Amino acid sequence: MAKHVGYFPELKRNWWLKNRYFTLYMVREATVLPLVFFIACLLAGLYSLLQGQQSFQGWLQFMQNPITIVINLLALVASLFHAATFFTLFPRVMPLRVGGKAIPAKWIILGQWFGVLLVMVLFAWVFGRGV
Amino acid sequence: MMEKRVKRSDEPIWWALFSAGGVCFAVFVPAAILFIALLIPLGLLPAETLDFERSRGLLFSFPGLIFIGVVICLPLFHAMHRIRHGLHDLKLGRDKTNKVIAYGAAIVFSLLALLGFVLGIM
Amino acid sequence: MTTKRLSIQRYLPEQSKTPFWQEFEVPFDDSTSILEALNHIKEDMDGSLSYRWSCRMAICGSCGVMVNGEPKLGCKSFLREYPGTISIEPLAHFPVQKDLIIDMEIFLEHLAAVQPYLINDSQDSNQTHKQTPAQLAKYLTFSDCINCGLCYSACPQFGLNPEFLGPAALTLAHRYNLDSRDQGKAQRMVQLNREEGVWTCTFVGYCSEVCPKSVDPAAAVNQGKVESAKDLLINLFKR
Repeated sequence: MAKHVGYFPELKRNWWLKNRYFTLYMVREATVLPLVFFIACLLAGLYSLLQGQQSFQGWLQFMQNPITIVINLLALVASLFHAATFFTLFPRVMPLRVGGKAIPAKWIILGQWFGVLLVMVLFAWVFGRGV
Repeated sequence: MMEKRVKRSDEPIWWALFSAGGVCFAVFVPAAILFIALLIPLGLLPAETLDFERSRGLLFSFPGLIFIGVVICLPLFHAMHRIRHGLHDLKLGRDKTNKVIAYGAAIVFSLLALLGFVLGIM
Repeated sequence: MTTKRLSIQRYLPEQSKTPFWQEFEVPFDDSTSILEALNHIKEDMDGSLSYRWSCRMAICGSCGVMVNGEPKLGCKSFLREYPGTISIEPLAHFPVQKDLIIDMEIFLEHLAAVQPYLINDSQDSNQTHKQTPAQLAKYLTFSDCINCGLCYSACPQFGLNPEFLGPAALTLAHRYNLDSRDQGKAQRMVQLNREEGVWTCTFVGYCSEVCPKSVDPAAAVNQGKVESAKDLLINLFKR
């Protein structure tokens, strides 16, 4: 076993401020904070729908509050930043092979962004139907 | 020395939920935020797009259940996993406690969303 | 001849319990490496400076130091790359024995724990193991590790918890698990499945940035998570 006679500084809790790469990692991890806010909005909306018309109007008003809009705008930016990081990590965690040949990471990343776009179109179709 | 180290971690369960939630956060959530939290509240789409009756019809249906799964439940597990590990990174609290609170919250609020859905379709 | 200022963290346990900084003005040209600068200091300026080195060609993996806060091989980093004073510290997240010399014992323990060698008890094991180029390609990128430890200094999770097996050990485990000649996966999975196995990793990814051999340990560790998750599933259905 090691005889730790030397100097061994403890890692301080602000370690992620000392290196740009670590700071970016913490930003990636923090993308979930505005996400939690958006999910809370949705849960509130769901229960307002159960309580009736008036309650739902109140929820819509809350969603129109400038502070709510700003946090949700932040959530949108966070979700896209998360997507950018997540999509590049995916082909490294699960390298896909077709017929023994590896699919280039670039294609997998592009495919995932295509998925984001497809869901946007789906939402536009669902909300736009019959209006 | 080896014996005390061989405990299998239950992390694969949480990691699988985190990963599934991560895909949903990246693929489904951007559109959900854009439409529900930005375009409609800002009045950039017609007011009827999300009126009371239409919203009920959309949410309390089979596609609505899928919506709850991919925009509420799975992203919740994703978020709570990152918050738990973030607390460890910042050396805040005990990981064992943080783990119970974080995943406990994800489970409770997911069940609450599903309960809301069941009440809605009844 | 132009010179550059090197600020080196010294630690002399016989003199003081805390480290101190010492500055040296070193002559350099376009081809001067950090390691050569350290050699110059030791030979001409201060013979008491201690550091490890051997091959000077990024193969032995012994000259790792923190250069301006980033883990680097001294022989593979050059003074010309750094404007201003260059700070040199021992590799982060390891106990320091003297000056730039770290205690790598914990790293070696973690390496040993994953049994990073071919395990094959089959009867014909005295025969040559055959392997196709396709089978080789599966693990080849992960087999370039030189055990320099830079990835451990780049890993905040190892810094927070030294019990974490860490990037290099987990990458070597994955490298042998992927090898068609190997039969030791079941033994290694026991280590990977632990909390301090693959599951301490949060994919910071800096290990892969600093790796001097472009091994991509972050990818290996996270592929290990997929394997560990599969292993749990298989284990559940076996019962």
